[in-house]
Amino acid sequence: MLLIRNAALRTGIRTAVPFLVIPVLTIAGAVVFDRNRHIIISMAIAVFALLLFAAGYEKRSTGSRRMVIVAVMTSLCFAGRFIPFLKPVAALTIITALYLGGEAGFLVGALAALLSNFYFGQGPWTAFQMLAWGMIGLLAGVLADPLRRHFPLLLLYGLLAGLLYSFVMDIWTVLWYAQGFRLSLYLGALVTAIPYTVSYAVSNVLFLLLLAGPIGKKLGRIKRKYGI
Amino acid sequence: MRQFSDYNPAAVAVWFFSVTGIAMFCSYPPLTAITALGGILFYLLGAGFSHGKTHLFFGMLFLVLALANPLISHNGVTVLFVLNHNPVTLEALLYGINSAAMIVGVLYWFRSFTRIMTSEKLLYLTGMLTPKLSLVLSMALRFVPLLRRQSEKIHDSQLALGLYREDNMPDLIKGKMREFSILITWALENGITTADSMTARGYGIRHRSTYRRFRFQAGDILLLGVTAVLLGICAYVIHRGAFAFAFYPAVTMQPPGYLAVCGLLSYAVLVLLPFGIEMEVGIRWRSLLSHM
Repeated sequence: MLLIRNAALRTGIRTAVPFLVIPVLTIAGAVVFDRNRHIIISMAIAVFALLLFAAGYEKRSTGSRRMVIVAVMTSLCFAGRFIPFLKPVAALTIITALYLGGEAGFLVGALAALLSNFYFGQGPWTAFQMLAWGMIGLLAGVLADPLRRHFPLLLLYGLLAGLLYSFVMDIWTVLWYAQGFRLSLYLGALVTAIPYTVSYAVSNVLFLLLLAGPIGKKLGRIKRKYGI
Repeated sequence: MRQFSDYNPAAVAVWFFSVTGIAMFCSYPPLTAITALGGILFYLLGAGFSHGKTHLFFGMLFLVLALANPLISHNGVTVLFVLNHNPVTLEALLYGINSAAMIVGVLYWFRSFTRIMTSEKLLYLTGMLTPKLSLVLSMALRFVPLLRRQSEKIHDSQLALGLYREDNMPDLIKGKMREFSILITWALENGITTADSMTARGYGIRHRSTYRRFRFQAGDILLLGVTAVLLGICAYVIHRGAFAFAFYPAVTMQPPGYLAVCGLLSYAVLVLLPFGIEMEVGIRWRSLLSHM
């Protein structure tokens, strides 16, 4: 899916971000500013990483059908976030990635975070959430073959994705609160976040168990029928 | 004559990220105070005095965050009391209060931001970078109410077919699952139809322009310019280290220097920009009314 049409802008982002912007930001974060500035540096890196992903898409042929399917899955994720306690976003992202590839998975995860935060509250965490859910989708797309063949492996991936998502978001909580990383605070945050961690992991496994078969079948059928 | 929320979204976004960015970048107590007060005032300006629950939630959050630090961190020289063999220090408490004020202030700002930056403004902003992404976003937004309406229809038809019983649990869950499955099939097929009809109407043909809901006017450029200048002053002050403040090992009170005062003033002006715009709009409106 070609997201940024201007080719010069696209190549500009693709060369500048990984080779110039991110190293400079990281080094500046470590050297020029003292270590109390990690939060803003990490936010800037998250935003640039999202930009990089937007510039990375370039398959021309896929067309509007694939795009609309991504939009449908995104809105399903959005609607799913209204379910109390159990959140199907990551599971739906993984399922999309399995059948439509990592690119589509990344988009669904990232856009679902962006859109649903209009309802659940935007914050400095939006960029991290987008990146975290996007990466879950991207990785699932990379591992699509083994995950599709071995169901227990898929469940394990869901479980790990839930745990890692929570751990990563806690790093960000600590960075924001203490403006630098402190292990004692991080452990405290991990302990207070246990209910959320459990809920993420359980809902990933549960929704993959319930939905991976049926939705996967439907996505596979749509893919075959319309040649997406 | 426009209200602040009617300014070009790009200008508003730049202003907004400058305000919150500076706030998150510094842990300088006077600056944190400006952030928190400004955030609360701006929220009140937009939302009025009605949202008691929000304020209660943020108040509780402030307390929890402020008290969390002295319980975890035991740095600092002024011991207030000893809890479970761990000293609770004044410095850690002050640090906690400062962090909590910053976080709650930024949360207030983001609340206001969510209220101002409605989805069509986000679509405008993403459209400036990539029209395709903005189209996916707008379609996803449109699918949410569509899916809800369709799921009501599916539910009604399942009821009418008699395939549905709500009086026992397994049947209810089975029914819900069936409805959900129908909904997904419908959503995917409907999506394909939408895509085909878009293609049939010429979507994706090259050299087509995108609709822009907002334009840059003189006021927007002025807002952008003023924001850039104030941000530049603040960045310079931060660069010179005038906003540095050490909580540990002991808080030393010293009057802010010339640079720090400059930085604080420009940050305050930056925070007060929307208030100025709203006031100007109000005064003009009054004078228009009185001339009638």
